[in-house]
Amino acid sequence: MTKKLLIIDDDPDFVSGIKAILDTGGYEVDVAYNPKDGLRALQAKKYDLLLLDIMMGRGAEGIMIARKMRKDAKLREIPVLIITGMREQIAFLFPGEPVHPRFVDVDEMVEKPVEPKLLLDKVQNLIQAAEAKKAAK
Amino acid sequence: MENRDKILIIDDEEVVLDSCAQILKGTPYQLATARDGTSGLALLQEFHPDLVFVDLKMPGISGFEVLEKIGEIDPTIVIVVITGFATVSSAVEAMKKGAYDFLPKPFTPDEFRLIARRGIERRKLMLEAIALRKERDLLREQFASIVSHELKAPLSAIQQNIFALEFELDKALTPEQKEKFGRIKTRIDDLLKMINSWLRVIAVDINRLKESFAPLSIADPIAIAIEHLATLAARKNIEVVSEISPDLPPIAGDKVSLTEVFVNIIGNALKYSPDGTKVHVRARQDGENITVSVADAGIGIAPEDLPHIFDGFYRGKSGQSAATGHGIGLAVARQIVEAHNGSIAVESELGKGTTFSVNLPIHKP
Repeated sequence: MTKKLLIIDDDPDFVSGIKAILDTGGYEVDVAYNPKDGLRALQAKKYDLLLLDIMMGRGAEGIMIARKMRKDAKLREIPVLIITGMREQIAFLFPGEPVHPRFVDVDEMVEKPVEPKLLLDKVQNLIQAAEAKKAAK
Repeated sequence: MENRDKILIIDDEEVVLDSCAQILKGTPYQLATARDGTSGLALLQEFHPDLVFVDLKMPGISGFEVLEKIGEIDPTIVIVVITGFATVSSAVEAMKKGAYDFLPKPFTPDEFRLIARRGIERRKLMLEAIALRKERDLLREQFASIVSHELKAPLSAIQQNIFALEFELDKALTPEQKEKFGRIKTRIDDLLKMINSWLRVIAVDINRLKESFAPLSIADPIAIAIEHLATLAARKNIEVVSEISPDLPPIAGDKVSLTEVFVNIIGNALKYSPDGTKVHVRARQDGENITVSVADAGIGIAPEDLPHIFDGFYRGKSGQSAATGHGIGLAVARQIVEAHNGSIAVESELGKGTTFSVNLPIHKP
């Protein structure tokens, strides 16, 4: 069955670049261009993976989405690939935590821009890891 | 009238307090007085003076103690000590401990007014300097975030679309077309890296690295750096020969930033070396230090350029034709090494080659 992905990112040009790669990779991809639409989409439809931008709007609004997902038992199961342009600054958002923040059960972080092969590998691995985790429960 | 400059006088002699109050009558200063150190310090907390006169000899806690305590409460409060005429030596000692000036007893009204005015001016200058420093830091942070958003975001979007385009066209592209994609990607990647290293210099307080120091083997960051540069080395057909003494004692440091140091230095060596030569990376113990040297057989650095290469935004004249660097890699390397209580040095001969040495102290548990 075709896996469904959601991208939440406020830069349409960047989104066009990753969406094309994911389309070619055989995924069904939806896009939300702001955190509000993103949350709505997450609640309305079942996704196999979320690609989340951190710096949106007036600041780290992507973090807000991650926090909301963490609190929601259902959304917490969706694996998240965080795509950020600011690897260094993210450490300041979670002082004391390592650079890889555990937002949800399964997540990982890559830096913008992302090489196609790396992107597809990460997406596939995260979906598999999340499925394995779910099956083990 | 909240903005009037405030003076607090702490002296056990009532006559001194009275005469000071008399002298300041009709001036714009707001005055408070205390008869001993303890009540003076209590009053200070609610009065928030700009300037404090403290008698050094008082019953109860001494003027020196008061001086110290005020320094702890608010180091920007200006303190002038009042001393007996014959005790210049204790006045000197007080100034060593942070007093701004001293007022020898007995004093004339003019002397007192002059010292009070100077003290108040001093406080204003201090507050102004602090405000300016804060503003500068804020501007720096804002600049960094503007740089990252306004420059990095569009470049990332461009690069991501090029990635996508190349990926979609993969089978249709001729080798020549692929090579053009390669050139575009490399140049954009260079730009992104340059912006990142600028950001690093502008926005990151390198001294905060110390908070994450842990014992580590110097071989680790060196190995990661060499691996990171493997593509560049292969492209220029340069062999990176690494000779690291086994059983080197650990150092205390931050692995990520030390890796950056070696990437910058070894990367430089690769950039400025002719194709087909070798770059030697050696690590050995040297008394209390570990010394890592990176030697190339490159174009060398002119003697007049040597003193400036760690300055940042500086590129040697002799290196112009070969350089694709950003001129700040070595400055960053120096800052990181110095944050590790280490040092970095360079020796070079034009046309023969350059050797960089990084000295880092051994970790003492």
